[in-house]
Amino acid sequence: MLRYTLKRLAIMPLLLWGIVTIAFFLSHSISSNPLASIVGTRNLGNADVVAAATQRWGLDKSLLQQYLIYIGNLLHGDLGTSFRTKEPVASDLSSRLPATLELALFALIIAVVLGIVLGVVAARNNGRVLDGGLRTLALVGSSTPVFWVALLLLFVFYARLGIAAGPGRLSSRVDPPPYVTGMYTLDSLLAGNLPLFTDALSHLILPSIVMALPLLGTIIRMVRAQVLEEQSSDFVRTARAKGMTPSQVMNRHVVKNAITPVITVVGISVGMLIMGAVMVETIFTWNGIGTYAVEASRSLDFPAITGVCLVGGVIFLVSNLVTDIAYAIIDPRVRL
Amino acid sequence: MQHKTLLARPLARRGRRTLGAAAAALALAALAACSAPAASSSGGDSGEIILGRSMDVSTLDPERSLCDSCQIYNAAVYDTLLAATTADGDLQPLLAQTWEANDDNTEFTFHLDPAAVFSDGSPVEAKDVKWSFERLANLKGDPSYFMAGVKTVAAPDAATVVVTTQAPNSAFFNVVTAGYTGIINSDVAIENGATADKDAAKTDKAEQWFLKNSAGAGQYVLTSYEEGSQLVLSENENYWGDDKPNFKKVVIKDVPDASTQLQQLQQGDIDVAMQLSFDTLDQVEGDESLTSEVVPTYNYVYLGISPGAADAPKALDDQRVREALRKAIDYDTVIDATVAGKGSKQASAIPNGFEGSDGLEVPDYDPEGAKALLAEAGVSNLKLEATYPTFTIYGVNFSTMFQSIQQSMKKAGIELTLNPLDYTAWGTKFGAGELPLTAVYFAPDHPDAVQYFQYFSLAKDASWLGYSGMTENTKETKGVAKALTQTGDARTATYSELGQDMIDDAIILPVVNPQVILASGSNVSGNNYHVTRNIDLRQLKFTD
Repeated sequence: MLRYTLKRLAIMPLLLWGIVTIAFFLSHSISSNPLASIVGTRNLGNADVVAAATQRWGLDKSLLQQYLIYIGNLLHGDLGTSFRTKEPVASDLSSRLPATLELALFALIIAVVLGIVLGVVAARNNGRVLDGGLRTLALVGSSTPVFWVALLLLFVFYARLGIAAGPGRLSSRVDPPPYVTGMYTLDSLLAGNLPLFTDALSHLILPSIVMALPLLGTIIRMVRAQVLEEQSSDFVRTARAKGMTPSQVMNRHVVKNAITPVITVVGISVGMLIMGAVMVETIFTWNGIGTYAVEASRSLDFPAITGVCLVGGVIFLVSNLVTDIAYAIIDPRVRL
Repeated sequence: MQHKTLLARPLARRGRRTLGAAAAALALAALAACSAPAASSSGGDSGEIILGRSMDVSTLDPERSLCDSCQIYNAAVYDTLLAATTADGDLQPLLAQTWEANDDNTEFTFHLDPAAVFSDGSPVEAKDVKWSFERLANLKGDPSYFMAGVKTVAAPDAATVVVTTQAPNSAFFNVVTAGYTGIINSDVAIENGATADKDAAKTDKAEQWFLKNSAGAGQYVLTSYEEGSQLVLSENENYWGDDKPNFKKVVIKDVPDASTQLQQLQQGDIDVAMQLSFDTLDQVEGDESLTSEVVPTYNYVYLGISPGAADAPKALDDQRVREALRKAIDYDTVIDATVAGKGSKQASAIPNGFEGSDGLEVPDYDPEGAKALLAEAGVSNLKLEATYPTFTIYGVNFSTMFQSIQQSMKKAGIELTLNPLDYTAWGTKFGAGELPLTAVYFAPDHPDAVQYFQYFSLAKDASWLGYSGMTENTKETKGVAKALTQTGDARTATYSELGQDMIDDAIILPVVNPQVILASGSNVSGNNYHVTRNIDLRQLKFTD
């Protein structure tokens, strides 16, 4: 397994170079000119201002020259400077990624824990009203548009009932904890500030529920189907014949086998959750990498677009690798 | 099988432990969710005011910035030589205690207030003004046009600044009320990579420093800025003026969505909501915990016509056809559709209330008159394509506006097809002068109407002379030059004449001059719309 892991890690830079190259040339292939975003509307016809901006952002160089400069800088850890924020892209990403990771992590915990529990409950109540209810929940969770659920939850629980925290990562007039990881829940705990931790946690609830819903629906359905299938397996009959109680059979054999495929779904979903957080982040004013990516695309912020693609590539490659390793650890039949 | 069972037990336990921990985390989270969020303490108690707005910050370097949010920031942090009042733009002293111009309006002398100091306590001197103005010009950034026509900036002594211009410019005192002309502490800025040299556009390295620091003489200093999240200002403890800051801390939160701004205002998470949409006005006015007022603005949205664009129909060369387009817009319906009737029609590119706008005739919807003009020009079945950016500005959604215009033009026999584009794609074409018909917006930089002729007329060097592809209107060129030699009523008359000339050009067709909702918590007074600052923080106060 070590050899396999090292091999996968060794090939990663090549894959990332490919991702960066494709992202670079694809984003530059659009006919629009990023100067339209760099220069204000008022000055789009001002030759002096346009010329100065063109020169300043290196847009007067050929595409190949720009690419070689970019790759050269990248090898030194420099992802360039964002046309839009005017900050180094690496700094932008490092400030936004923890926000999205924190949100995605909570969404993942909600989806996995609730998904497995509810999937098992549904299977154990196969054909009953509870099963029907949970299957409906799974269907609704998977098919309801995220933005609609987000707006609805905000309206009901924040604006109307006032029992949930509103948009943003912290309440107004609350300062963030000292930066350690960039995840407010973790950093507030590290700072020993429990009220701040509670505040950060309360702000995670609604967005992470919204983010978790589609995955939750998938996991419920998957676990339910797997549990039902495992229950009719030979080894389950054998276990019962040996005198194990139904709950022992369920906990020790059925559930364990039923949740193995969940690892694959979770592995694939980590990347999608992180890179697909746009809608949730926009509605909940969550300053993460999703909104950064959208704004970068809108303004043709080439360095930011390429930087986001690079980070996305790393996330997908690492999560796929971790999934494969986890699979091999849990299921001895899988050999790496 | 036995091997599998042996392996399965510890894994299963580990799984249970993991699940247990996760369940505990979920329970904790649920507990946090069920407990009401931390109640917002009154801003009045903490001296901290929170403004919610969709932030459009382009940069925090005042001499590179050009945006509505920048106007608020620059005015709060970088005091200018002069200030304009909220109501009518009258000039007030700020860093300059007194000021005077020579007879032909080519030399402007400012006498600095000896009490004025920067936030680090060092005095504001003439060399700082000279350096700031020269950097503004030499950076060739977005606001560099504020220094257009400036020949020299001299500092004969530490308290006197003399600006000379290439041609008479009676608007110059108004120009220096704009936050973009705010004075920077040159020593501090130079230490951090800024330069005012001729080659500043290539050699200045201070923009990133300005995103984290400030060096002005305004009421506030920059504490932090997180793009997409919030801008935090703190009281300048060395503020030199008599009117000390009303707040210890000013937070401008980025709340892009208007309905979220309202929700946050109602929940007390923000104290002022700056961009509420008019469809929420009933809710705002019916909420006793809020204070609101609807006031006029100087902002507007207009149609711009470019007969010289490559794909423009030949018919647009004819002024009568362009005039027919003006008559073919049902302004009242558009204003109803876009800003729920909370807006005004506008005669020319000079917004209502600005010098020279009085007496100009506002347009009316006249489809029959439009048809008659088209017939007179020998044009039938006029087909046009409107290309515009898909956004909402000052409450006006461009798609809604054009859908309404499309309907009204149909009654005048004009077939309008709509081509919405994302901003960058639109900007690329607009900048290249490729759009026969488009829509744009405009907000004033300073209180002088000359900016409208310098941008919208067909006078020499005017921006829209280039965009429209028309030939120079020498009468307007002379008119602008003449106005800048004048002051008082004579200048007002010239401005008005230039306004009529722009109406006659029929290149710029203002569609809606929207109002704005000033909404705040009931413990906030002095909410306002300011001509050069967007909102004047000096007037805002907590009442409790």
